[in-house]
Amino acid sequence: MPRRSRTPAEAIERYRGRTVRLLSCVTTEHVVVSAYHASDDGPHQLELADPAKLRSAHPLRLNVAEHYEVHEDADGWHVEIVGYLYAIEYEGRELVSYHWHPRGDSPIIWPHMHVAADIRVGDRWFGKVHLPTGAVGLERVVALAIAELGAKPLRDDWERLIGEAAVR
Amino acid sequence: MATRTDNEIRELSPEEWAQRVDEQARKYLGISGDEFERRLNAGEIDIDDSPAVTRVAMMLPLHATPK
Repeated sequence: MPRRSRTPAEAIERYRGRTVRLLSCVTTEHVVVSAYHASDDGPHQLELADPAKLRSAHPLRLNVAEHYEVHEDADGWHVEIVGYLYAIEYEGRELVSYHWHPRGDSPIIWPHMHVAADIRVGDRWFGKVHLPTGAVGLERVVALAIAELGAKPLRDDWERLIGEAAVR
Repeated sequence: MATRTDNEIRELSPEEWAQRVDEQARKYLGISGDEFERRLNAGEIDIDDSPAVTRVAMMLPLHATPK
């Protein structure tokens, strides 16, 4: 059962704290957030101030941006992610990125990913193809970086924090 | 369980956020934030055109990119 808060401000603080704790598994880069006011319906924003260099034998960087809203239901207030960008760079070039931008002007409103592949299908570069995915949580991208791409976790409890972040 | 981190959270006002968008647009794309937003809304740029475009576009408040 996702956790609920008594107020919108509490829900936002809980979300920010959970997200920052998750990011602290792989980076000390600071996070910037758009200011929240009670009269503001959102959406609100959270992102890494700059792409974060990961501690790794490989030149990896992580880029994160989230859009979110605060909603109330019978159990209280909670934050919902309404858009995201999660990208991992290798040698200064985007290796894989997960996007969801359903509210902008783009017709691509479903969650999707892009992969770095020097392949052309006809005249279309495969790196620009929008590969459909389900909604991806940031915790899965952090886990990917650590478990499969060799990023060194910066804390011993990274697996617990990934589990914590997965509960929304 | 409370967990400490050294990661700083910096809260930006709408004006500071707009300044950030402008700085990042100039840094990654060589144009102002206002010009970037104009081109995006006019369809001259697509959010998925490049990683740099996506990064800056995701900084824009969603209400600024109408359908």
